[in-house]
Amino acid sequence: MQEVAVLGVGVHRFGKTGDDIVGTKSVTQLCRHAVDMALKDAGVSWSQIGAVTAASSRFSGGKGWGLNGNDVVEDMGSTGIPVYNMSAGCAAGGNAFNVGYSMVAGGIYDMVLVVGGEVMPKGMIQTSGLEDPNDPEFLRQRCVGMPGPSFWSTLARRRMFDYGTTEEQYAKVVVKARKISVHNPFARFQKEVSLAEVLASPYVSNPLRLFEICPVSNGAAAVVICSKEKARQFSANPVMVATSAVATVDFSDALPRGLSGPVPAGPSFHTESKAVVLKAFEQAGIGPKDVSFTELQDNCCFYELAYPEEWGLCAPGEAERLLDAGEYAPTGRMPINPSGGFVSFGEATTAMGVWQIAELTWQLRGQSGGRQVPGAKVGLCQTNGLGGNATAAILKR
Amino acid sequence: MSQQSSPCVPGLFTEEGGARVLGNRCVTCNTPYFPKASACHNPRCTESKMEDAAFGGKGVIWSYSVADFPPPPPHKFDKPFKPYVIGVIDMENGLRIVGQLVDPLEKVQVGAKVELVIAPVYHEDDKAYTSWKFKLV
Ligand SMILES: [Zn+2]
Repeated sequence: MQEVAVLGVGVHRFGKTGDDIVGTKSVTQLCRHAVDMALKDAGVSWSQIGAVTAASSRFSGGKGWGLNGNDVVEDMGSTGIPVYNMSAGCAAGGNAFNVGYSMVAGGIYDMVLVVGGEVMPKGMIQTSGLEDPNDPEFLRQRCVGMPGPSFWSTLARRRMFDYGTTEEQYAKVVVKARKISVHNPFARFQKEVSLAEVLASPYVSNPLRLFEICPVSNGAAAVVICSKEKARQFSANPVMVATSAVATVDFSDALPRGLSGPVPAGPSFHTESKAVVLKAFEQAGIGPKDVSFTELQDNCCFYELAYPEEWGLCAPGEAERLLDAGEYAPTGRMPINPSGGFVSFGEATTAMGVWQIAELTWQLRGQSGGRQVPGAKVGLCQTNGLGGNATAAILKR
Repeated sequence: MSQQSSPCVPGLFTEEGGARVLGNRCVTCNTPYFPKASACHNPRCTESKMEDAAFGGKGVIWSYSVADFPPPPPHKFDKPFKPYVIGVIDMENGLRIVGQLVDPLEKVQVGAKVELVIAPVYHEDDKAYTSWKFKLV
């Protein structure tokens, strides 16, 4: 196995169709911006890229069913290189990074471009709309009427029962995130919000409120990775990939993802996310205590409290206290989402896992300005996506 | 409601012999499925042996949420929209299942006992379309 370095990263600031940030840009235009930035950051030209792994989705893409990778290659110049389009819901960016990483580590390609981008439809992410009784998602909508956010609010409600978490504590997670967002030029929202403002925002799905759930966004991210040996030509001290991992749900997973499942014997949590992070720790020989900061998928505030506990970054039931004590901040003992997180960016589904790699890289290079984690040495990132997919990566300096 | 009623999706549940959803169960490992699974999904099960099973009766609320806004299509609802509670219920028959609660939010608590009922989700052309729901007992 070759050691793999992150040579260059690029992000198009996230926004919403029609705003001043992304306007009417297509997903290819957003990706172009991110790719140009990553190539420039790496100091390489397009013709040096040996392959592209792309995070594809059903939401955008010009060649039919979300072939972002092929659109990007055509736009950059058709050099005939292989394009791998990965589909894994919101975990697709992490999957694309994993495939790119694996191929460089395995010596198949010297240099790979990983890219993800999205132009999202308005409103709640919805199903195909087809009335097919064999589609469990159709049954869930027609027979129950369970809007997307209600999955998250069910978990948030259960945490309130298990640990006595209050609605105010959930709101504080958002206040913390948006306080950091002021320092991130790539975030869609770059304005602080007060506790009162969060608590005054309407319920989307009680107990979760509008400001506590990440909206959908348009955006793109790209990273150039290469073997350590190759990286020496460009940088004396590049950010290294300690590991990259992918997992899917275990049969014992008892979260209400479909209509029903067996009542579990033990506690309920995201088995795919826990498995992938523990696998990453094991593969890298890095433990929770070694992690300088974490970028995790906060589709809603619940996850910033639950995930660190489920992965052993802190003890079960301890998250609220750490948050209150300021330990979640970039300058705290357990910095969580020093980027501002999904709640400050909004979710441009397939871009997320790639954008996290960019955020980790900037932190480890010490380029994160007002959101910098002092002396960051090891960064952990995680995504999870529809279908029970999860990805994790650990980067180190 | 004296008008005619009909299931919102046919073949998923019944009221005959008590309100129950129609699924199946693997007799080897005892895993219950709703809707029916064509084969057992348990990777530790030695042999998939599926038998039809109907699941009804009582359970407790594991957690719940509220649809504060109408979900997008294909959901159908009566206008004006009224927020409703969605429960995740651990049933005595071994299923953890999602379903609307007929009771208002103020009365719902994690750990409360409920039973499965068949009740209307929406009305169309003077007809009530039903689904499985849960009711506090
Ligand atoms: Zn079985």
